Amino acid sequence: MELRVERDALADAVAWGARSLPARPPMQVLLGLLLEASGGTLAVSGFDYEMSSRVELSAHADEDGRVLVPGRLLNDIVRSLPSQPVDVRTESNRLVLSCGTSRFTLPTMQVDDYPALPAMPTVAGALESDVFASAVAQVAVAAGRVDTLPQLTGVRVEIDGDQLTLAATDRYRLAVRTLSWRPEQADLQATALVPAKTLADTAKALTGGPEVTLALTSGSAGEGMIGFEGGGKRTTTRLIDGEFPKYRALLPTEAAAVAEVQTAAFVEAVRRVQLVSLVAARNAPVVRLSFSADGMVLEAGGADDAQASERLECGWEGEGVGGEMSIAFNPSYLLDGLSAVDSDITTLSFTASARPAVLTGKRQPDEDVPAYRYLLMPVRLSG
Amino acid sequence: MRLVIARCSVDYVGRLTAHLPLATRLLLVKADGSVSVHADDRAYKPLMWMSPPCTLQVQDDVWTLTAKGEQLVISLDEVLSDTSHDLGTDPGLQKDGVEKHLQELLADRCDVLGAGWTLVRREYPTDIGPVDLLCRDATGAHVLVEIKRHAEIDGVEQLSRYLQRVSTVLGDVKGVLAAQTFKPQAKVLAADRGITCVQLDYDALRGLESSTPTLF
Repeated sequence: MELRVERDALADAVAWGARSLPARPPMQVLLGLLLEASGGTLAVSGFDYEMSSRVELSAHADEDGRVLVPGRLLNDIVRSLPSQPVDVRTESNRLVLSCGTSRFTLPTMQVDDYPALPAMPTVAGALESDVFASAVAQVAVAAGRVDTLPQLTGVRVEIDGDQLTLAATDRYRLAVRTLSWRPEQADLQATALVPAKTLADTAKALTGGPEVTLALTSGSAGEGMIGFEGGGKRTTTRLIDGEFPKYRALLPTEAAAVAEVQTAAFVEAVRRVQLVSLVAARNAPVVRLSFSADGMVLEAGGADDAQASERLECGWEGEGVGGEMSIAFNPSYLLDGLSAVDSDITTLSFTASARPAVLTGKRQPDEDVPAYRYLLMPVRLSG
Repeated sequence: MRLVIARCSVDYVGRLTAHLPLATRLLLVKADGSVSVHADDRAYKPLMWMSPPCTLQVQDDVWTLTAKGEQLVISLDEVLSDTSHDLGTDPGLQKDGVEKHLQELLADRCDVLGAGWTLVRREYPTDIGPVDLLCRDATGAHVLVEIKRHAEIDGVEQLSRYLQRVSTVLGDVKGVLAAQTFKPQAKVLAADRGITCVQLDYDALRGLESSTPTLF
């Protein structure tokens, strides 16, 4: 192998491949990144059996070749190279990187033992990469992080024709986002449960290209897998098996009371007030919200502990609950929701103080169901 | 176990020299010959101690502990309390307590494994060791259940061996691997061997409700 490639392009490609390097590899070869030069392209691939990443970049190749090198080390080296063209070439069982006046020699690994990367599943459709990334970020925040319930650590992806629905829940909150996209077949119906962290990282990393293509293994044939491709980068990840909760039934269809609050002011108030909810001697931090015609009052702390309260202006339609209502939330879940709503006005819809509240953006007169909904379970108001 | 509460001063001579001035302290003399000097803080951690093997010589009000190259000299000024208890043999720390407890809980609630399931017996004996649970499913067929906190390939192998042994006695037997968490490899191997994996929620089985209400 002998080729010349731009430093930034190489660093980006190696970092992408390194995403799939396992922390505790079942096989030593998986610690390697596969470099393949052929024609005018260099492909970098990483694989850990759960997830594979591959990227192709154009390179000026004088000699084709295929080589496996220690991935983390290569990533560290390439990142630190000066911004000049990099010459990559193999010398017997070594890989030599020259860039400017610096020169690195890396031992290569047994390339024949490296497993074949899974093939990209059938393409299901495409959408704008930044729209996808922001939708995924809105939903992934609600995914569970504990492995004891693996099905809750995923984001459910539902494809119904030209509508894509993403949903995640950790049992305390549920985030649902619907968006339109361009499916390959107009009547496509499919679902997948994708590891939330991987999905969020992938969606963010793919914003470099204009578009993201989603690919899904169809039906129950073989192991479930989802693939993403955009801007020359592609990745596949194994789906989580298990039943995702039937979440649609949890979403209230009507609201007894609605509050509209300036999001930025609300976030700041919660951040301030929650300071004393953390020192209060209780199992979980709690922020209490009281709504009335005079606005909203946020409170935290207990009678024997430090206390805080803050009043905020808010729009309030509370006829359905007798004009007034008090409800309590875990402040960090509330803050997650407020930032995920991603709107200058947050609408909170309530049915009762012991029933879940729905956070949405500013109400649009022309939409029945908001594109993004964050359902949050209240904490019991004690005493 | 001998517990002495005394006003004492202590000198240590060994790799370094240290001195505890006169104050009231707890002295623990254990059956293994070890002695430790405790103040009324620092949880389990003594101020000074001598690990076994060491020898204790008592001469009037002075205890002298000697180990290889080290010496701990405790000068007793006033003994406030001196009691001894025979604690007997300690059963040791039980790290597999959760697994045992899961077995007890599941024995009472076989329906967690499948609707209409009943327990035949716990610790069903085979000539290669006892199986955690022997149940019958809704159709009356025998099922062997192996319970783990964290299921790995070993657990699948273990259950496979049991299934093979028990099938010579009971005929066709199904296998269920029940655990709180599963290694992906264990799931793959279990599926390959026709063993069902059931995930257990320890808190739910114990009837512990999370203090935070959940959506479902």
